[in-house]
Amino acid sequence: MENALQSTRRYFFSRASATLGIPALASLLPGSMRGATGDAATGGMAGLPHFAAKAKRVIYLFQSGGPSQMDLFDWKPKLAGLRKTELPDSIRRGQRLTGMTATQTNFPVAPTIFEFKQHGQSGAWISNLLPHLSKMADGLTFVKSMHTTAINHDPAVTFFQTGFQLAGRPSIGAWLAYGLGTENKDLPAFVVMVSQGSGNPADQPLYDRLWGSGFLPTKYQGIKFRSIGDPVLHIANPGGIDQTARRGFIDDLNALNRLKLDDYGDPEIATRVAQYEMAFRMQTSVPELTDLSKEPERMFELYGKESRTPGTFAANCLLARRLAERGVRFIQLFHRGWDQHNKLPKALPGQARDIDQPCAALLTDLKERGLLDDTLVVWGGEFGRTVYCQGKLTEDDYGRDHHPRCFTVWMAGGGVKPGVSHGETDDFSYNIANDPVDVHDLHSTILHCLGVDHTKLTFKYQGRHFRLTDIHGNVVKPLLA
Amino acid sequence: MAALAALVSAAPVEFNRDIRPILSDKCFACHGPDNQNRKANLRLDTEAGAKADLGKRAAIVPGDPAKSALVQRITHASKGLRMPPFATGNSLSERETELLTQWIREGAPWQKHWSFMPPVRAAAPQVSNAAWAKSPLDRFVLARLDREGMKPSPEADRRTLIRRVSLDLTGLPPSPEEADAFVADKSPDAYEKVVDRLLRSPRYGERMAIRWLDAARYADTNGYQTDAERFMWRWRDWVIDAFNKNMPFDRFTIEQLAGDLLPNATRDQIIATGFNRNHRGNGEGGSLAEEFIVEYSVDRVETTSTVWMGMTLTCTRCHDHKYDPFTQKDFFSMFAFFNNIPEKGKTFKYGNSPPMIPAPTAAQEESLKEIESELSRAANTYERLHPDRVAAQKDWEAKLDKSARIEWAPHRELLAHYTFDGSADAAGPGGKTLPAAVKEGSADFAPGKHGQSARFDGKRYVDGGNLAPFGFYSKFSLAAWIKPSAKDGAVVTRANEADETAGYGIYLKNGKIQVNLIARWLDDCLRVETVDAVKTGEWTHVAMTYDGTRIADGIKIYVNGEAAKLKYIVDDLNQNFQTKEPLRIGSGGGMRFQGEIDDVRVYNVAISAAEAAVLAEAASVNELAAIPREKRGRPQADKVEWCFLDKFAPAPVRDAWNGLYDWRRKREFFLDSVPTVMVMQERPVKKDTFLLIRGQYDRPGDKVDRAVPKSLPPLPKDAPADRLGLARWLMSPENPLTARVTANRFWQGIFGTGLVKTVEDFGAQGEWPMNPELLDWLAVDFRESGWDVKKLMKTIVTSATYRQSSKSTPALTQKDPDNRLLARGPRVRLAPEMVRDQALLMAGLLVEKTGGPSVKPYQPAGLWKELAGGTDYQRDRGENLYRRGMYTYWKRAVPPPGMMTFDSAGREACVVRENRTNTPMQALALMNDETYLEAARKLAERMIREGGNSPESRLARGFEIATARQPNERESRVLASSFQRNLDRFQTDPAAAAQLLKQGESEPDKSIAPVTLAAYSTVASLILNLDETVTKE
Repeated sequence: MENALQSTRRYFFSRASATLGIPALASLLPGSMRGATGDAATGGMAGLPHFAAKAKRVIYLFQSGGPSQMDLFDWKPKLAGLRKTELPDSIRRGQRLTGMTATQTNFPVAPTIFEFKQHGQSGAWISNLLPHLSKMADGLTFVKSMHTTAINHDPAVTFFQTGFQLAGRPSIGAWLAYGLGTENKDLPAFVVMVSQGSGNPADQPLYDRLWGSGFLPTKYQGIKFRSIGDPVLHIANPGGIDQTARRGFIDDLNALNRLKLDDYGDPEIATRVAQYEMAFRMQTSVPELTDLSKEPERMFELYGKESRTPGTFAANCLLARRLAERGVRFIQLFHRGWDQHNKLPKALPGQARDIDQPCAALLTDLKERGLLDDTLVVWGGEFGRTVYCQGKLTEDDYGRDHHPRCFTVWMAGGGVKPGVSHGETDDFSYNIANDPVDVHDLHSTILHCLGVDHTKLTFKYQGRHFRLTDIHGNVVKPLLA
Repeated sequence: MAALAALVSAAPVEFNRDIRPILSDKCFACHGPDNQNRKANLRLDTEAGAKADLGKRAAIVPGDPAKSALVQRITHASKGLRMPPFATGNSLSERETELLTQWIREGAPWQKHWSFMPPVRAAAPQVSNAAWAKSPLDRFVLARLDREGMKPSPEADRRTLIRRVSLDLTGLPPSPEEADAFVADKSPDAYEKVVDRLLRSPRYGERMAIRWLDAARYADTNGYQTDAERFMWRWRDWVIDAFNKNMPFDRFTIEQLAGDLLPNATRDQIIATGFNRNHRGNGEGGSLAEEFIVEYSVDRVETTSTVWMGMTLTCTRCHDHKYDPFTQKDFFSMFAFFNNIPEKGKTFKYGNSPPMIPAPTAAQEESLKEIESELSRAANTYERLHPDRVAAQKDWEAKLDKSARIEWAPHRELLAHYTFDGSADAAGPGGKTLPAAVKEGSADFAPGKHGQSARFDGKRYVDGGNLAPFGFYSKFSLAAWIKPSAKDGAVVTRANEADETAGYGIYLKNGKIQVNLIARWLDDCLRVETVDAVKTGEWTHVAMTYDGTRIADGIKIYVNGEAAKLKYIVDDLNQNFQTKEPLRIGSGGGMRFQGEIDDVRVYNVAISAAEAAVLAEAASVNELAAIPREKRGRPQADKVEWCFLDKFAPAPVRDAWNGLYDWRRKREFFLDSVPTVMVMQERPVKKDTFLLIRGQYDRPGDKVDRAVPKSLPPLPKDAPADRLGLARWLMSPENPLTARVTANRFWQGIFGTGLVKTVEDFGAQGEWPMNPELLDWLAVDFRESGWDVKKLMKTIVTSATYRQSSKSTPALTQKDPDNRLLARGPRVRLAPEMVRDQALLMAGLLVEKTGGPSVKPYQPAGLWKELAGGTDYQRDRGENLYRRGMYTYWKRAVPPPGMMTFDSAGREACVVRENRTNTPMQALALMNDETYLEAARKLAERMIREGGNSPESRLARGFEIATARQPNERESRVLASSFQRNLDRFQTDPAAAAQLLKQGESEPDKSIAPVTLAAYSTVASLILNLDETVTKE
């Protein structure tokens, strides 16, 4: 057996350095096999990280649907006096609108109806919809000048996930799993969790491909932890088979497979033996990970009562911390429900409540455990929303359409400078006034925090050396600690 | 990689194999075909460029490395001056530097890129053991092995061989009996007989088709946002059928790319063009049509060029290619072949989008023929009665009692008729009263157009309740007499009461008649309006019809019986517009009616223009009959005649008239029920094509014409510059790519890896073929056979190369880990769908039925819900659970996990490379997925039923079903001890046994004790998990 594994290890890593046909999830390799790389902690690319990393992992809190920047973070006091006035042409500049409002006859300015206050020493303006997060203001790094080129959900989320608007390229998590490997022998390097917000229950769907590996080998794809049924597909044994019986099963299976290996000498068989061992370990490690019952009461108080309900954003934040503790490289949460085309004043408070306490709790919790220093937390959606009203503007009601030209993203933790607000928008939160940051810039900055030079994380496919950032991207230095 | 480099070093330096890949990978990005970004005016992708005099120096001076600037720069002592620049992250290895230098020393002989030179059939080489070769193919393989000093492996034993070839040609393993028969067949052509049998099996077409579906990005949903259903399975079935009929690959190509352009194209040839409509379609609200219409044609170019040319033109969408001799102009010249179809950038969110055709199945064609013959019989019967009919009508008219007023209007499919003669209630089908209520005011009736009418004051309206729930695909008509006193108002609606909100209705808007079908205002609705206004204070008859086609063209408005000239205001409907609002008369869409409304009719069908005209004919039948026949207008004559036929004609005439109508309806219903398929079509007027600067949809540059890439042979002079011309050009003997690319892809399907591993890239960045002479021989042989796919498959699987044992040795694994030299047979994990298909077959569960709508087998609960919200996956029951994997419903947002776990292509875009990983997720699926647990239980039943009476023989039977061989002694011991341990466990814990047997929908065999069945099931599961079971070896 030891011999078989030895040869598997050699075979595996000789194959893993080639481009395709890799026979195993390296990110899921058992520790005994990973020893052979020299770098015991990873199964990533040679030569990475390119320089000292500030962060070892990322928790990306993706806010799907397009959160309204001027109702949450981008305070525009001058708008109060411009209510119902037509958005000036000098601001709109004939820029393209979505098909939903392009033929609207007028574009009345809809100032936020929510109150803003300054918080902390940094004096960050935050809406009263986010009381818990406001207390963390000095730990946050705001980018007020994010912009994107996509104007609809599907291409826009795809762009944030893969650096390209059309499906087919690897997601950022897959790139990092490929580049940096994993730090945990029993868990995937890239884990995804999804939750449904209260703000728009019929919201935009998500796609498996958003955490896919594109043209990278499948083993780098994100593994989605599910809130319905098994947390990882088929991780649970069927009724009538307990872990002891499963152990016996795998022993029998491996015995037969080893006989085959002796006869055929195909190292792929040894890999399969190892993968069944890994599967068996995951059957223990994953339920242990997702079982929150041993978390102290204090934790549920910290994350809020929703954290007791599996599948909520709050519960996923708590799980994110547990994944971070276990060294998972890229943890991505998707929270749906930010697409407020109409009835924004009614929908947004609940949607903000979904994430407010859990986000603050996650930062606090990571900090208390000393994990925030080497964990980069990113919060943001695929685009922002328009200052002009979509549909009818009334005293207490308005809606906002998609707005790609400016929106807010915040970060915290490993690698970024706390208490900073980078970039500005104009008085209408419609155009960027200074320091624009595009999606490639954000990607290159995230990679930088992890010690990765985004121009050197490449993969050759269809004759071209592809990058997450394509041929673009500049690290946003003022954001860095 | 190191091993591969070692493999090629045995031969002298050859430009195409050794040099071009280095130049391409390390130099072309700055010194290649891309004009815009070329550095130092140096071009290394052409011989002229590389050897050009650049003012006293040249990059390459043949025979003189020292004088060659290239050598100076790649070996420069200063890091800052050394090429390639440090900053690019590219650097040359010592070996690469050496190769370049040596090549220049040897005179720097240049070659055109290998794949652009036509393939030639080389003479079969001399080999060490000519007797070993069964085909010229084998001599090319053996010549390569001879060069390496290697020997082929012995032939695989017959059981291994029949399992291998059955899996390769049909995707399913042989039955133990088939294996036994092959072992027992001592005739010299025993193996060939097996191969011929497999090639004749209908399973062959399914096996071949599924990889083609991956390439063609076939799926059952649209792929964007809501990711709703589409229907392309008739195209999928065409592919299966084509493989089974062994359609020559040239015809297979031409029909899929341009079947619609063939003279007298058959329905099947048009269905074939669905190939290039399988791309994703965006119906997302707010998406920009002009942006996505570009993406569809881009996808067609990329897919077509990848599949037939093995060339990735993707890069040239935005700029000239950096590695291959393709320009951006080439890309858009190809694009121009594919952008001339009458499609919309914003597709329908639900269902197929035009252009599409009804595509009845063969069985449906039969039924349709029957209906049509009945219809023509009915028409004949009716016609035969013509003289009787005319005479009887004349007679009837003469005898008409002029004093009794006869009213008549078309009433077939009439859902509700509001007369407003003293009541708001409607008459429904069969004379049933449909109660209605007057809301926001009290009923007010006045003398109207026919009897009394209802009066509306801008407030009150009639609420007809939950009637007429028309939607997306409904056909319906609304008609009424109106006498408006204001220019705006709602006539008949089923819509929300606010402005511009969801629902359908016919309205008066600024005096014009407007029809709205709204799912969401502005970006998801149809709105058409008459050009002319109707007069206030006058009675006008208005009617609208909608034919369920989801386009503005499907709406007609009739004013006073005449089709009105229409203005399309919004033509952008892509989902259902049903609401929970009641049917209202006089209100809806934020408007109320002022004036009078009379004689409202709601039809469950789009009435004809003639019927609309009759509705607008106010005079009674008596009055019309009084007009001399030759002076009656068409609607007047129709009204009298139809009334006569309906009410007063002699029974045989009336029956014939009704019979004709019934068969017409049956035909219409039938045609509505047949599947459709999206197809290619040309616009009547050719659309202009412009190069898009940086590939952006909103930055058109120069106009371009249709053309094939300049670096390839041109279209023949007399060829049409359209898709048909392009398809024929791809298949022409002058085309250097198609035959190679195709033969290589089929080779990959058998050996797991192509002779060119980069099956999608035959360009400078792609892999140099492992055995170029072999690839060319296969390509030429394939083309010259008349593109006979079955013959190609047979050539491959009957070769000695294929028939080798797949056992390896440490030395062989060390030298050639990926088996590129083919000194052993292929040993490859089964393709994604085969893993499940085989388990179902072994369990006796597999339902073999070719084609039909996609099916929904077991999938984990909540699979769709968590990602997409809304509807969850509803699995089928019964036999749809057990069809082959190629029929599994493919939702692009959440592709079937059972397929994806085993490395299926994602079906988002064209994928031709096959990939095999080996992961714990696969282990978990095989151990715990309901599919495999149920299969294990059914396999256990088979073991007990067919395996004699002893545990040993039963276990051996299970093993044999899976592997086509008996277990050896050591294997038997493991199986036996596993069985005994599980039997003991279940005997102590019978509840566990009962639980284990609950997997899947099928019933356990009640005649077997649960404890026994559970123990055998566990071992059957073990057998399904074996490496040998999931591997073709």
